[in-house]
Amino acid sequence: MFGFFKRMSAPIVLAILILISLASIVGDRTRVSRNDLPWWQGVLLEITVPFQEAVAIPAAFLGKTWRSYLDLVDLRAENDSLRISLSELKETNLQFREALVSSGHLDQIVDMRDDFEIPMLPSTVVGLDVNPFFRSILVDRGSEHGVLAGNPVITHEGVVGVVTRTSAHAAKTMLVLDRQSAVDAIVQRSRTRGIVQGRGSGQLAFQFEAQGGDVRAGDQILTSGLGGVYPKGLKLGEVAELTEAGGSLIQVAAVRAAVDFGRLEQVFLMLRRGPGMDLLYETGEFFDPSPAPVEEQVGTSDEDVVNAES
Amino acid sequence: MMKVFLALFLVALLAVMLEGSLATIAPPPWSPDLGLLSVISVGLRWRGMAMGLVFAYMLGSSVDALSGSLMGLNALLYLFVFMSAIFAGRQLNLKGAFPVMAFAASVSFLYGFGLYLVSTFFINGIEFSLRWFIESFLHALVNGVVAPLVVGIFSRVAVWAGADDSSERALYIDTPVRPA
Repeated sequence: MFGFFKRMSAPIVLAILILISLASIVGDRTRVSRNDLPWWQGVLLEITVPFQEAVAIPAAFLGKTWRSYLDLVDLRAENDSLRISLSELKETNLQFREALVSSGHLDQIVDMRDDFEIPMLPSTVVGLDVNPFFRSILVDRGSEHGVLAGNPVITHEGVVGVVTRTSAHAAKTMLVLDRQSAVDAIVQRSRTRGIVQGRGSGQLAFQFEAQGGDVRAGDQILTSGLGGVYPKGLKLGEVAELTEAGGSLIQVAAVRAAVDFGRLEQVFLMLRRGPGMDLLYETGEFFDPSPAPVEEQVGTSDEDVVNAES
Repeated sequence: MMKVFLALFLVALLAVMLEGSLATIAPPPWSPDLGLLSVISVGLRWRGMAMGLVFAYMLGSSVDALSGSLMGLNALLYLFVFMSAIFAGRQLNLKGAFPVMAFAASVSFLYGFGLYLVSTFFINGIEFSLRWFIESFLHALVNGVVAPLVVGIFSRVAVWAGADDSSERALYIDTPVRPA
């Protein structure tokens, strides 16, 4: 009898572990709220972040040195091109300001801006998923800094993703590139609505209704604010090409992500999440559009928190 | 036995943490999957099947906890990776860098395909794309290139922790002796 169990120990262990793994996957898919991590995952994240920071700091220094001092090919041409773009943008900005002043709406917009300020927390990317299939990052701020699962993550270039889980000093963020990511979006030029989905690779896919949809290569895709996750007007990317056209009701456009995910070092965590995320994570805290005092909300020092326009 | 297990698991855990940092310098698919290579390394050298399976499961769960995948997904696939490594270690002559590179690259590509299949089963709307296929192929090549180094490190750690060198299994082929 003992000999039988000894001989069969490996198949029994294998069967048990396969069952546990499958149960974990099903549990992960069906669980709505993933705000609370199991203790061992929290401990693992807490150990990982300082380790990855220790490795990432010299690596980032080397990378920055390379980009700042050694890899300066085409810098002069790029500078000239940027100077021209800047002067064009200044001119456009002047025209918009003039139009706003003449329409009498400038004062109202200045007042509105105060109402829509969202506190943001700068954070460093310390880890990245190595598998091309799932796309997530690990950042060095967590629940101790007021970060919650469901908080949007952005850079100056556009949308990065959304926080999915947090420990005390770390937060896992699912990138918009991930195949599980879907963002409600609009085309800036034509206001055509659709869904931006991750493809796992460097590109996104914009799905929209073929009938009445007006999308062209070069169009800017922004968040619509209707998905209940991201505020309106954040840049998602630029249409590269229409990939699927014809008889289908739904058309798909390939979109180049606005953010250069290959060089992601610093991100901003928006410390207020949308109503959709509040409902999803079932915390009972519903979205309050009025600005809250920054220190009360996040419990961090003033210099850590940056207020930015939504 | 337990000391060897703990030493190998600790090194594998550090490798998983390190791979996340390396990926910030060389983004996927150019960064090696050190967690996967750790399981392959241990599978090629480990003799106890049950403990090895526990090792693979624990490491896979740790990878799941740190990555954006479904909880349990890597744990499940690492079990099969470990099984394939332990059987390959018994049946094939994987001494030398090139056979290890070829084996690790093959397993890595199959692992990517397994990720795709299991994810498609559990997540709606995942489509197969050529770009993903190419990235998985490149990732497998990168893993293959790094594999001999990782296997070497794990062998040294195992010996340092008390495992005898005989754990480096060699291939013995018994040819029947014909009577004269």
